[in-house]
Parts: sequence; C-alpha cells; structure tokens
Amino acid sequence: MDPQEARRILDEERERGLSMIASADSSEALDAAKVGVLGRKSRFSQVQRALGSFDPEDRKRLGMAANELREALQSALDERSRALAGAEQARLLEGDRIDVTLPGRRLRTGSLHPLTIVEDEMVGIFTRMGYRVEEGPEIEDDWHNFEALNIPPDHPARTMKDSLYVEIPGFLLRTETSAVQIRTMESQDPPVYIVAPGRTYRREAVDATHLSVFHQVEGLAVDEGISFADLKGTLETFARALFGPDRRVRMNPDYFPFVEPGCQVAVSCFKCDGTGCAVCGNGWIELLGAGMVHPKVLENCGIDAERYTGFAFGIGVERVAMVRHGVSDMRMFVEGDVRFLQQFQGAGA
Amino acid sequence: MKIVVSWLKEYCPTDLSSDELAELLTAKGAEVEEIERPWDRLKGVVVARVLEVRDHPNSDTLCLARVTAGDAEREVVVGVRNMMPGDLVPLAGPGATVPALPEPLSARKIRGVVSDGMLCSPWELGITTEHTGILVIPDDLQPGTDFKQAYGLDDSVLDIEVTPNRPDFLSVIGIAREVAAATGVPLRVPDVALDEDDEKADEVATVEILDLERCPRYLARIVRGIGHSPSPIRVQARLTASGMRPLSAAVDATNYAMLEIGQPLHPFDLARLKGPGIVVRPANDGERLVTLDGVERAFTSDDLLICDTERPVAVAGVMGGAVAEMSGSTADVLLESAWFERGGIQRTRRRIGLSTEASTRFERGTDPEAVPLGADRACRLIAEWCGGRVLAGSVEAGGAAERRRVSLRPSRASLVIGYPVSAADAARAFDRLGMACEVEDQDLVAVEVPGYRVDIEREVDLIEEVVRVQGYERVGSTVPPVRQVGGVPPAYGFRALLRGSLRRSGIREVRLLSFASQEDMEMAGGDDPIRITNPLQADEAFLRTRLLPGLLRSVQRNVYRHVRGVALFEVGTVFRMKDGAADERPSLALAMTGPASQTWAEPPRSFDFFDAKGVLEALLEDAGVRHWSVGPPAGWPFHPGRSAAILAGEDALGMVGEIHPSLVERLDLGGRVAAAEVDVQVLMAHASSEIEVRDVPRFPPVRRDLAFVVDTATPAAPVQAALLEAGGDLIETCLLFDVFSGPPLGQGKKSLAFSIDLRAPDRTLTDEEADAVVRRIAERLASEFGAELRAG
Repeated sequence: MDPQEARRILDEERERGLSMIASADSSEALDAAKVGVLGRKSRFSQVQRALGSFDPEDRKRLGMAANELREALQSALDERSRALAGAEQARLLEGDRIDVTLPGRRLRTGSLHPLTIVEDEMVGIFTRMGYRVEEGPEIEDDWHNFEALNIPPDHPARTMKDSLYVEIPGFLLRTETSAVQIRTMESQDPPVYIVAPGRTYRREAVDATHLSVFHQVEGLAVDEGISFADLKGTLETFARALFGPDRRVRMNPDYFPFVEPGCQVAVSCFKCDGTGCAVCGNGWIELLGAGMVHPKVLENCGIDAERYTGFAFGIGVERVAMVRHGVSDMRMFVEGDVRFLQQFQGAGA
Repeated sequence: MKIVVSWLKEYCPTDLSSDELAELLTAKGAEVEEIERPWDRLKGVVVARVLEVRDHPNSDTLCLARVTAGDAEREVVVGVRNMMPGDLVPLAGPGATVPALPEPLSARKIRGVVSDGMLCSPWELGITTEHTGILVIPDDLQPGTDFKQAYGLDDSVLDIEVTPNRPDFLSVIGIAREVAAATGVPLRVPDVALDEDDEKADEVATVEILDLERCPRYLARIVRGIGHSPSPIRVQARLTASGMRPLSAAVDATNYAMLEIGQPLHPFDLARLKGPGIVVRPANDGERLVTLDGVERAFTSDDLLICDTERPVAVAGVMGGAVAEMSGSTADVLLESAWFERGGIQRTRRRIGLSTEASTRFERGTDPEAVPLGADRACRLIAEWCGGRVLAGSVEAGGAAERRRVSLRPSRASLVIGYPVSAADAARAFDRLGMACEVEDQDLVAVEVPGYRVDIEREVDLIEEVVRVQGYERVGSTVPPVRQVGGVPPAYGFRALLRGSLRRSGIREVRLLSFASQEDMEMAGGDDPIRITNPLQADEAFLRTRLLPGLLRSVQRNVYRHVRGVALFEVGTVFRMKDGAADERPSLALAMTGPASQTWAEPPRSFDFFDAKGVLEALLEDAGVRHWSVGPPAGWPFHPGRSAAILAGEDALGMVGEIHPSLVERLDLGGRVAAAEVDVQVLMAHASSEIEVRDVPRFPPVRRDLAFVVDTATPAAPVQAALLEAGGDLIETCLLFDVFSGPPLGQGKKSLAFSIDLRAPDRTLTDEEADAVVRRIAERLASEFGAELRAG
C-alpha cells in the first residue's frame, strides 16, 4: 500500500463508516459496524498498520488524518449508541405503561361517630380553657340525680321528663349528666372547673326529634366570686371556638331547679350571622340551658354557699351535631347506618 | 298556656303587637313558642237576617234559606234547619273564607239549586268545635255587619311554655303582670263588682275542712236562679282559643275566671248537695266516686275528697263528681274556690291518672289570696251571662297564709349577677313587679312576697327577679381565672385511644341505644341483666349486658340495605347486676362481614376470623398490651372452631372469632361474620404507655428462611414460641410468612415457613454461629412437634 492508496482508503472508509453507523438500528448492528469500521480486520486498521512503512512526512500527514477519522467514527459510534439506548429505553417504558386512572391501593378507612367527633371538639375547647373531664355512673341514685339537684320527690320538675327506673330500688338511668356535678362537689373542695360528658336517658319514644338515649356535656365552675357574667363570657368563648369568632350569645330567663338565675342560651347563627335562615329560623340557635348553681345545691354538697358561687351548663351533643352538620333526623345517630356514618369519613381527631 | 292577646290587653293595655309581645315575654322567661292566629282565615263573613226557610225541592235533609245582609236577597242551601225567619246568622258569601275550610267559598249548585254562599256553624267560624247547627247570633247586630269585626276576632294567641316555677303564668293576669313590669303600662284588675242579694250565703250552706294541711282554705259562694243560655260568642271564641270547650254560660264563667285569674273554680248544683254543706276530708281507703268523665274511681286515705254532708261529690283539686254535677235544670249554684296543698294534688292526680286544668294549676301552686277574687269574678260573670241572684257574702273555712318576707343584699346581687346593683335599683325592680318592698339599709331590701309568687323563697330568688326585670341582655361577659391545667381522666383518654386505633383499622364507629330485649339476652347469653321497671317498649326491657347483639343487628340492617363490606365497632357501657347493685363496665365490640377487598387491585375475599384478629392485634399494640395469648374457643355466640379467648396472663381481655353459623343464619346474614369483644377495663389494666428505647443495632443481621413440616392439627403459635425459645438471644425477629399444605407434602401435613433474623449486638455473626442456632431450633421442633426442616 502506498500513501496515495492509504489516502484513498481513509476517504472511502469515512464515507462507508459513517453510513454503516448511521444505518445500525440496534445495539447488535452497531457493534458489528464498529468491528467493520474500526476492528482489527478493518481497512482502517490496515492503513494504520501500513503507516510504519511510509516515509516520515507521509507517515505524519496520514497518521494525523487516520486519528482524525478514528475520532470522527468513534464519536459517531457514541452518538449512535446513545440514540439507540434512548430508543431502547423508550420501548421498554412504553411496554411498562399502566392505566393511571385506575383507583389506588389503599387501606380500608374507618370513621368516628359524629357524636364522638362533636363531643371531642366540645370537650377539647373546655379542657384547653382549663376544665377537667369528670365521669359518673349511668345508673344513678335518686339523691345524685334529683334530690341533691334541688328536685325533691313532689317537685313539678320531676314530671317534666319521664325517667327510666331500674329494678334496683332508688336507682334510675340518669336524666342529666348533672349528677356528676354533685359527685364532684361531694368529693372535691372548690375551686372546681369540670366538664362531664356522657350518656343520659329519658322515657321517650324515639322519633326524628327525640331519643331515649342521648348525650350531654355538662359544665360546672365553682369558685370564689363566680358571676352570671362569667357564665356568659365562658359560653361566648365556647361558642366562638365552636362556631366561629363572630358569634354572639343571647341569654333568656329559663328554669332548671338546680340553677338560679337560670337561662336558655342561644348563639347567633353561623350560617346567616343572625339574619334568619333555614338553619336557625330567627337568627338564633338555641344551644343549651345554664345558670348560677342554686345555693341549695352547693349546701347539699357541703359547700359554703355564702363564700362560693358557681355556674353550670348542659349542652346536648346531638343538638350541636344536628345544627353543625345539618342532620334532620336524630334517629340517624343510633341506627348505625353506614351510608350516614361514612359521610363523617376523615373527620375528628 | 295559650293567652289570647286581646284578653291580655284588657288587663295591660299596651299597644305592642303580638310579635313584640312574644319577644318581650320570651326575654322575661315566659317563652312564646308560637303565635297562633285562629281567625286569620275568617274573611268576608257578614251578619245576615233569615227571611224565609223552605224545603229543598230535591232533598229531604237540606233546606233553602232566603237571607239578606242588608243588600240584595240571596238564597243559600243549608244542611241543618235550626234557624227561623227573623234570626241573625253568619253568611259566608262567594269569595269569603272561614277557618275550617281550605278554599274560599263560591256560588255552587247543590242538588239542582244554586247556593249563593253558606250559613256558618260555630265550628266553621273557629269559635267552638260545635258543628250540629248554624250559629244563631244572639246579639242585636245590623245585617251586613262584618262578623269578625263585631266579635273582635282580629286577634292572636300566644302559646307560652310555662316553666314549673311560675304557675302564676297559667293565667291572663299573670302574663299581664309580667307585661306591665316590662313595659311600665299599669296593670288593671278584673271587675268583680257584685250586686249582692239580701239572702246570705252562710245561712244557706255550711263549709267544714277536716284536713287543714291539705286544704288550708275553702270558700263557697252561692248564686240562685240562674238561666240557661250559651255564653257570649266572644267568650266562647276565647275559651276555644285557650284550649277549653265552651259548655254552658255558668260553667264557661268558672273556666273563664280561672283562665283569667289562675284560680280553679268548681260549680256544684246546690240542690243536689246534701245539707247543703261542704266537708273537705281525706278519703277512706277504697271509697268510690264517679267523676264527671263517667269513670268510677277508687281512692285511698292519701286522697282528699270534697263531700256534702253525706257523701263525696268531688275529687279535691282534680275533678267534680257526677252526683252534684251542673245540668240544664240547675237553678242554684254553689261555687267552690279553694286552695289545696300542691304535693297532695300531685299524688292524687298521678294515682288516678287524671290531669285537668285545675289539677295542673293546684299541683304547681295557686295563690291563696286569689281564692275570694276568683269566686267573685266567676259570680260576676254568671250574673252577667245567666242572670240569677248572687247571695250576700261567702261561706269560708281556713284562710290564706301570711306572706313570706324575703330579704336581698344588693352587694350579694352584684356579686352573683356580675354588675353593680344598688338598693334603689333592686327596689325599682320589685316595684315594677308589683311586689311591696322596703329598703332597710343600703345593703338590705326586704320584700313582701305576694301569694301568687310561690317560687320566691330565698335571696337568690330575688336576685333572679332583679336581673330578669333589668334584662339579661345587661349582663356582661367575663371569664373566670382558672388556675389549673385541663385534661381528661385516664379511662376517658384510653377509650379515645381505642376508638382511634379501630378507626385506623378501617372500622366505623356506631353508637347504639343502651337497651336490650329478651331476644338479645338469649343471643348474647347474658347473665344477671338489669331490668328496666318502666320500659316504653318491650325491646327495651333490659340494659345491655354486652355490645355484640346490638352491633350484630346494626350489621344486619346495613346488609339489608345492600351496604358492601360492613365493619362496625362500638365503645360503650354494659350493665350487669352484681350483689344487688349495678355493675357498669366500659366495653368494646366490633363486627365485620361481606367483601373485605375494596378495589380491583386485591383478590376478592370476604371478612373472616383473621381480619377481626388482625384488628385486635393492632388494637392491643396501640393500647400498649405487650403480653397476651390466644386461649380456648370463645363459646356462644362464636363459632367453636373459629374463635378464641384472648388472655393477658390469667385475665380474659376478650374474645375474637367468627359468629356461630346458626346465629348468622338466624340473622339472615349469609356469609361469615367476624367479631371481637373486649373488656376495656381489663385491657386498660394490662396497658402500658411506657417506651424504653434500645440502641439501634450496629451489626448486620443474618437472615434464614426455615420451613418446618408438622401435622395439620399442630397450632402455629406454640411452634413459634418454641422456635424463639430455642433460638435464644440471637433471634431478633421471627416472621411466619407462609402456611402451606398439599402436594408435595403428605396427607395431614402442613408447612410453616419462618423468616428469622439473627443478630448479635457486639459483632457480625458468622455462618457457623447461625447454622448452630438453626440446628438447635430444628432439634427442638423435631423433638417437641415432630417437625421436619424442609429447607433452610
């Protein structure tokens, strides 16, 4: 091989090599092309081997040309290899495609009962205000349920609601969680700041607005200097935490034997802000009964009614839940109907 | 209590509207629940004169009346023929509306004759419930006069919820007094001026009280020679609107006076009273009397009877007897006005199960001072409406108790109410209420409590009056300085923790009624239930002894409603009788049935034992119960082969299992139902919230998978326990990852595959060390269970 021939071969190999590389359509074909253009048996390698027999000037000139060609071919090979790898991966990814609109895998999700959710929320507000939760038995004796609460046997208030009695003489299913007030005051000296959540019972036929078993959160504060204004402020704080910062509280006189002065407390409607709507009717949502603890109740618990005053309130959990969530039929709370319960998915602590 | 507004305004002539009155009264503690307008639909009815009444040509029962309302004559078809030519009657012409009918009237053909409107019965006008004839108007009115205007029926009625402490609100005067206090418009007193006869009442009849405790005051008045006619139309309308039935003018007068003043009154036919005299005495046990409702009732010595000189004639404070009842031929009336002790009336009313307008008032407390007032007012009305002579004076025994005097310290009132109250403020408030008071010094106001205020006994009652009169809206808003940290007791917090755990396990919380039926008792096998003595329904005869029966019925309801995959839990109280006392325990139950898989991504399967057990395992872990074990089958109502007691040491925490197929069938649930029940109290006793941290291991573990072939009947748990024991300290974790039976294993064999991690805290274990552990395990399981190591 003479230098002219070497020159010609390099030129031919450039054209042939680039075209082979470009037409390789798989990594196997590209490997074959690489062997064909740069392998030991390739014409390019023959030229390289022949370089040693040329005179120094030709050797230098053609050596440079050969290097330049090798670099060009190598870079074409690399580029083609990358392209092929990309296409290969794209093919693999395409084969891996899934229907992303199918629903995801997940654990079953349970739910808390709406009364649990609402009770937790109410109790949470009061515990953050410094109140402690107290509990008492659901089967109460006459003293704690009635007598101590200033409801003697022939008191007309006993006929206000019919009670359910059990076969144990002198015991009944508590009609209010107020009994817990008495138990607490009997066992603890003031100051007392408690809430008593729990089940209460009435002898009442179950319908859309009545349940024979329902829930209350009762509150009691007994301390030196507790006033009616403290009651209002406390309930206002509570109502704002529960229903929003702009709520107002209205008290109207009402009667419960264990408080005096007694009141019925309404909150300005959270839907219409007190202008009147389907939720509230006249702008106010009647929420609870409350009042100043009757001195006779304090005396019944051995507390000095001259030194200490107190307030008490009782909130119906069902009532709050109904207003809050637009529940129109109280029976939903006790039916265990999943179609109702699942609407509270995700709610609660 | 229903209060007719025009009547109220007779005694407190305010110009407030019904709506304003309702708002005002509600703000003062007499909550107006509803404003009724019973004559709202009475429009266009006019007074007409009957000119002629003749037979309907095509009907034997109907007749035709030619009438005029001052203008043209018209003919109407009438169903009842009680009016005569010359009578005045109410005519509802075409376009008029009446309370009883939903549509306006129109001229229409009845049996071939066009009726140009309708003549109205009292019922159609909303005056009484009487519908037997056309109302014949007794008053001399000009034909064409608007009926509603003439009788002042452009009126409304306040339906007031009266709290038990305010029996004085059970009267028009009582409400008027409150309106007067709130508005400052002076209260008027009822007209009781009487034109008395020369004959003296106490010369005609006698009154004797044999039980002054039960009846401290009894007064009788006598009216002779009464006539018999209906009471005035407006009176009838007011009685009806107040919820009472007009009867005859004399009886209506007593009811009207009672509604006005709050003093129940009872008229006797004087001629039918032996003596004539009244004796008030306790009944003899078993003594009988037929009351006005025609029922013969028996009494006890705790009941008080009104008798004549020979026999009982009325049940004191509740209802009169038939023997001395007023009738159409009654000429002379003895009118009773009395004061009875509250508790006694309540006991009698309960015992005989008879509640009347009178008993409602007496048992809440009437005004002893109103006894003569009520009698005088009724006599005045009887004389006005029925004629007759009111005999001079009354026959009276007993008397009113002295008024209570109660004092108020303004300083105390200020403290309780939370804003400053001076003696003058307090005195002003009592003055508004018409209660006499005296400012004894700057910090003492003495109040004389009128008889009608039975609720005022001590200082705090007066404090309430002050703030009520001044207005609850004046009360400020402060918060007491609470000097403690709030929180919940451990048991309360523990139940919340359990609820959270079950919710995370995919179960929905229910809250069911606490009652149980006989059937539930059988279903649950509950011992020592507590019986409810006065259940409303038979299925509420017991308190639940466990949660499962109610929960299963709730599951059943959901299955019936085609809910897919039901999983419910409840945390609640269960009740048992223990040594004659109630034993209340917190309990927890869960039940699940139907498809457990929710999506396309899981193979379809139904809830079974292991779902319930898995939930329970997570619950025990969340509760911090570290040591527990599976005990023997749980017993009824669980499946004997697919249930177990859960034990913590010797204590039974609860049970888990599938419900017995026969109960599943009885409940028509079709499919496996997995359930669990836990005694929350025992669970809590074994719970621990302590966390003691160990160092995170620094050396890698050696993992070995070991499959042992054992007899099918060999339970897994003891095998695993033995494995752990044999493995010793080097075993860090042991996971049972596969249970397999069938070829190539022999008949009656199964394979249990464990993946164990071995680790030493201080070095990397060598293969030789790991092999030694595996050998130890294999030897132990071989000797104890005949287990054969398959691969490892």
